[in-house]
Amino acid sequence: MASRGDEEDSTRWLGQAVLAYADTLYNFARYLSGNRMDAEDLVQETYARALRAAHQFEPGTNLKAWLFRILRNTWISVARRRRSDPTIGGFDTVTSDVEPEPTWFCDDVELDRLRKRVAADIEQALLALSDEARTIVLLDLEGLTETDVAAVLGCPVGTVKSRLSRARQALRRQLKDYTP
Amino acid sequence: MDCRAARLALLDEQRGRLDGAASAALATHLHECGGCARDDAAERLLTELLERQLPQHAAPLALKRRLAAQWPARLDAPSRARRWPGWRGALAAAALVLAILGVWASLFRADRAGPLVAEAVNDHLRILARAERLDVPSGDMHTVRPWLTGRLDFAPVVPFAGDADFPLRGGAVEYFLDRRAAVAVYGRRLHVVTLLVTRPDGLPWPDAGRPLTTRFRGFNVRLWRAHGLAYALVSDLDAAELGQLAARLGG
Repeated sequence: MASRGDEEDSTRWLGQAVLAYADTLYNFARYLSGNRMDAEDLVQETYARALRAAHQFEPGTNLKAWLFRILRNTWISVARRRRSDPTIGGFDTVTSDVEPEPTWFCDDVELDRLRKRVAADIEQALLALSDEARTIVLLDLEGLTETDVAAVLGCPVGTVKSRLSRARQALRRQLKDYTP
Repeated sequence: MDCRAARLALLDEQRGRLDGAASAALATHLHECGGCARDDAAERLLTELLERQLPQHAAPLALKRRLAAQWPARLDAPSRARRWPGWRGALAAAALVLAILGVWASLFRADRAGPLVAEAVNDHLRILARAERLDVPSGDMHTVRPWLTGRLDFAPVVPFAGDADFPLRGGAVEYFLDRRAAVAVYGRRLHVVTLLVTRPDGLPWPDAGRPLTTRFRGFNVRLWRAHGLAYALVSDLDAAELGQLAARLGG
């Protein structure tokens, strides 16, 4: 049985380790929610929940996958709440706020414009996927194994493979101008 | 192998998850089946688009400050040995023997360095995302170094001033976790390479002479320790080219 001191140590260590994933979590949250404000709220709520559940994290397991699971579950509960109470604000009103790509290192203006266009098209294609399809593509991009993705989604590993395949097919249809 | 199995295996092959026999079977099928070969090419292109072109959103600084305030934590991982009673010493010794095995050692190092690698990539993304130019947009190390030194609580050692292959683009100061880091930015064609130099105290940085090379979120990352300082090199360049720059930097 873990002592109170053990739990405090775990929490302190986890708090610091999790801070290093702030950008990764925020990026995931941006693509889940589609906007900056919701993404910030999601990450902050994820941190709060992770803090409360720090003693449940098993050292040696994948911290990133654990955090993604918390973030995704948080997002699902927020989405459910919003669906049942339209006064809170629905996601159908959300617009994607695509930030400009960095330009200072690119000498060729035309090439830079093209890169921005490609980036915006890919972002839009990703946002057009269902929540679940987008989630699975993003988790795969983050380098999570199929086992970790299955743990995040709460489904069998075999299901991850087929869902990922379908999600990528849908993306390719969206991006048919870029992929053969 | 039929077409359905082949198409499900395409991504596994890309990720290096297939064993030798399955990989060979897939290669044979792709050689014989034009449809699946086209699918393979499209899948690889999609991966490249997603990894290289999909915008990566860095967390706003204000959010990070709020999170840090929420968890004012120490940098060191909890020391289990400190809390273990004496009879568990035997277990610790056994673990030490395992750690001697190279594969275990590398896994352990990569695991401990995980947050460092993540933060190095975060800093690289912040540099890329800066709307304004670098703090010191100069290719002259004699301009960059004094500017950096005046803004840090340590003297950064940047042993490479840039050349025709890796021109110096400038410098900046960024935060690395809880401390300031000197940033030197090099170019390689249209790629950007970020070098971070910071104080290693309290961080599980690789030991001197044992650099760590890894990949995270599509970026290649190399961490090493020299001159009593911690170094991180990050870029979307392939590992071989990043290694060339690391060699020039003494990493």
